[in-house]
Amino acid sequence: MTTTAVPAAGAPASGAHAVAPHARGSRETWVALGFIVPTVFGFVVFYFWPSLRGFGLSFTDYKFFSDTSFVGLANYQRLLTDETFWNAMAVTVWYVVLNIGFQTVLAVLLAVLLHRLTRSVVTRGLVLMPYLVANVVVALLWFWMLDAQIGIVNQVLSWFGTGPVSFFGDEAWAIPTIAFVNTWRHLGYTALLIFAGLVMIPKMLYEAGKVDGASEWQMFWRITMPLLRPVLAMVLVITVVGSFQVFDTVAVTTGGGPADATRVIQYYIFDLAFQRLDYGYASAVSVVLLVILSVIAFVQLRLMRANESDLS
Amino acid sequence: MVTVDTAVAPTSRTPGREAGGSSPGRVLAWACLIAIIAITLFPFYWMLRTALSNGTTLATAGTSWLPVDFTWGAFKRVLGLATVEEAQAEGGSGAAVDFWLYLRNSVLVAALITAGQVFFGALAAYAFARMRWPGRDVVFFVLLTALMVPPIFTQLPNFLLMRDLGILNTYAALVLPFFFMTPFAVFFLRQFFLGISPEIEEAARLDGAGHVRTFFRIIVPMSWGPITTLALLQYVQAWNEYFWPLLVGSERGVRTLTVALGVFRSQTPQGNPDWPGLMAATLIAAIPVLLLFIAFGRKIVDSIGFSGIK
Amino acid sequence: MDTRTRPLAAFLAALAVAAVPACTSERPPAESGGWGDTGEVTYWMWDSSQLPGYQQCAADFEARNPDIDIAIEQVRWDDYWGRLLTAFVANSAPDVFVDHTSKYGDYTSRGLIEPLDDLIARDGPDMSQFVEGTGDLWIGDDGKRYGLPKDFDAVGIFYNARMARDAGVTPEQMQNLTWNPQDGGTFEDLLARLTVDRNGVRGDEPGFDKNAVATYGLGMPPNLGAGSGQTQWSMFTGSLGWSHTDRPLWGTRFNYDDPRFQDTIRWWRSLIEKGYTPPLELAVGGQLSQLLQAGRAALVTDGSWNISTYASLGGIELATAPTPIGPRGSRSSMTNSLADSIASASPNKGAAWKWVRYLASPDCQSVVAHAGVVVPAVASVVSTAEAAIGEHGLDITPFTRNLREGTAFPYPATQHAADVDSIMKTAMERVMAGSADVSSLTAANEEVNALFTQG
Repeated sequence: MTTTAVPAAGAPASGAHAVAPHARGSRETWVALGFIVPTVFGFVVFYFWPSLRGFGLSFTDYKFFSDTSFVGLANYQRLLTDETFWNAMAVTVWYVVLNIGFQTVLAVLLAVLLHRLTRSVVTRGLVLMPYLVANVVVALLWFWMLDAQIGIVNQVLSWFGTGPVSFFGDEAWAIPTIAFVNTWRHLGYTALLIFAGLVMIPKMLYEAGKVDGASEWQMFWRITMPLLRPVLAMVLVITVVGSFQVFDTVAVTTGGGPADATRVIQYYIFDLAFQRLDYGYASAVSVVLLVILSVIAFVQLRLMRANESDLS
Repeated sequence: MVTVDTAVAPTSRTPGREAGGSSPGRVLAWACLIAIIAITLFPFYWMLRTALSNGTTLATAGTSWLPVDFTWGAFKRVLGLATVEEAQAEGGSGAAVDFWLYLRNSVLVAALITAGQVFFGALAAYAFARMRWPGRDVVFFVLLTALMVPPIFTQLPNFLLMRDLGILNTYAALVLPFFFMTPFAVFFLRQFFLGISPEIEEAARLDGAGHVRTFFRIIVPMSWGPITTLALLQYVQAWNEYFWPLLVGSERGVRTLTVALGVFRSQTPQGNPDWPGLMAATLIAAIPVLLLFIAFGRKIVDSIGFSGIK
Repeated sequence: MDTRTRPLAAFLAALAVAAVPACTSERPPAESGGWGDTGEVTYWMWDSSQLPGYQQCAADFEARNPDIDIAIEQVRWDDYWGRLLTAFVANSAPDVFVDHTSKYGDYTSRGLIEPLDDLIARDGPDMSQFVEGTGDLWIGDDGKRYGLPKDFDAVGIFYNARMARDAGVTPEQMQNLTWNPQDGGTFEDLLARLTVDRNGVRGDEPGFDKNAVATYGLGMPPNLGAGSGQTQWSMFTGSLGWSHTDRPLWGTRFNYDDPRFQDTIRWWRSLIEKGYTPPLELAVGGQLSQLLQAGRAALVTDGSWNISTYASLGGIELATAPTPIGPRGSRSSMTNSLADSIASASPNKGAAWKWVRYLASPDCQSVVAHAGVVVPAVASVVSTAEAAIGEHGLDITPFTRNLREGTAFPYPATQHAADVDSIMKTAMERVMAGSADVSSLTAANEEVNALFTQG
């Protein structure tokens, strides 16, 4: 595979391609580069450069305004034996599995329901409404509604005779509850993304399927799912990556407790950097997280062959 | 020959293809949908009920399904219509809320960010999806890693950059880090562009159109559904941004609504939020975006799909 | 260089380039500071309920100093320290800001705030005008003063007066509770009396069902107090003569392995087993004031800085009481004091110092006192504040009497505060949740002490 150096921010603006007598491939390259210039500019300035700086800091013992020295791989070695880090990774992975499993299955179901049962804009708007509420407010609201002592949900449960459930306080329930809260907010959003993909599937295929006598269930697995693959792959990558970075909900509700049961990795990083001022180590943990996420995303994209579409 | 087929009539509830579905299956499907909508909407009822309650007596009847000590006070606080005494009497903090100014700022900032992200994102997505050039997939994957960059890496350096450019507390600082690129937009549109059949482009090429013209004249109109969806979702995300606008835009003139409504959250360590105020603020802040959805909702529903080549 | 190593080389070069700015991005704050006497002074504070009082102070100050402009910004507690740190790094920190005992150690060790000793020697104020002990809380571990105290607080009891009456408890009994770690003294008897299960049976009556409690005697705070236990358990351990560290301030050896501390925690946990306080998992997320208002708890221990929150609760009759008297015959309360610090990088330190001095003066502090939210640190104004607070419905003297009677001890300011809290938070939660034995706190203590020996 050939590699091309990423164009620097000073590359020619779109439209400035010369009418070259070269093969069309070269001209196409210039046009493509023109198309991606603003995106690459934004990436380099606001993501890549700060990340590079952070990566450099992960090899130091930077603690803000104190003598900083290069410590090589010491931060990474510390990471290997850091119990809190491994606990945070385990907690986060468990959260991602619950959140994504639950959310994706429900989102596909909801998207199909919206696609096949009713086309009303109102329904679509209703399911999207949770997304309109800020993450933090959603967390606060559910924190209150699910409160073990004065929450409405436990009151309803008591009508059915079950005792109060400590949704956020019980170590076994805390992560599933946070997963539920985030699913509540993002379900409509994810369903809408998948819905947009469903609509792009040509009706003709369903009609042909019906003529062949296929049932709804069969058509779903044979037609819908395969053709949904590019969109579904994207949705999964986005949601998995986003899920790994859960922070707001935890910060506003359990604060990592009880007893580290919800101390997710992003919260640990935040705690290290801004409260314990151990920025060098926090950078190292961040780099490790970034690498893990990149590997996961890469594997996902490969497995789902997200670069191709069965339609073309 | 290419046929374009609208996928759905605007207000039909049950298009023809539904006919013949099994009854118990459909009942189950409807039951599922209703259950999901109920769980989705119940918290909004709870928000409304709390917003109409009095903050100082709220917890005395915390599980009552009706507002506690019905009052419009919370909405007055949010809209900046309550005096300091009125606010504090009902448990609010008394800090001034210049609602319309902050609303204007939010609308402006979110619109700018969305415009940039969607436009540049669409351009880039097309280049990744439908053009061939060396290193294409590698560059795409690298761009994608921006999704995984931890916020602690970007917040401090970007803040320093804004300060060095001298644009702290301006709209520019609020918009710039998000304006040029968001990996989500590029990824999202790329996947949709991948799903467009290549025959359409080849037809256009045979007619003599270059990439630029193909993109603007054919691809974009075809993808209006996904593009509008993306714009709406990015608008909501930009609208709900909190920490960055707090860092670079805390001055009154450029403060956004989401930041300003932090006044209803807890101010002191382990303190209580102003629950009614917070709920009222959330409901009111959701209205502009809801209006936007209603305006553009049709476009998302009536996405133009392709039935393929005849 | 072939195409494969070229990207690698470019990457390494970029890395080297990136590391350079990382090392030199900060200038020592004192270098960029200046002693300007006029202009704008930015002031950060987090408590919104004190904002009107301080805005009045600013107006009065500007009237006397027309060439100085005070710009107050109120920043929520949760955002406060993150924004402050970012501002320090970007050299855009506020000139003056409200500082906290648990945080300023991090700033002194980094030279971010200005020592005030020379300024005090030159311009005053007379440090004896402040309530005893408050000024000392702001002497750093290098012996220099870093803030002028603005208020002080103590801890005590808030309880539901109606529930107490129904239980047959007199206010006089409430003011003279006793406690010991073996059987909890009259304090535990009181909790038993106030606890009521769903069938109306009280905690000290036969047939009490501790698994079906409607109202708990003691409200369990969602936050167990991490290392300090300021409002949660420090009043009990203090009454045994136990102190957190080897020195009251800036100690370097913690005492969580001391049997007095562990016995107290063991007693506290026993309350859960007896049903007088809810299990930790039920308490997560509950705000104490909301629990009281909902009738789920009859009594809570909390700090005097929250008194206006409790006073404003509607639909409930609350009263205050002092912390219980320990086995040594005296009660105990942790006390803390907030102060205003000056950023070393401020260009207007002259003007900032004038503002700080005004903030610490009886003039400004009496304005704050009249607002009835906190008790200012200037001794002469304390009774005004107590009266103003009393007008809102709750009596603050059970809290403040600790300072008059000499039973107060200072908040244990130390270096590495955030790390200590992080270790102790997890350890305490495990113990109170029952998944670890109280003796596990000894291991936690070693972890904490290791922070200081590693230097």
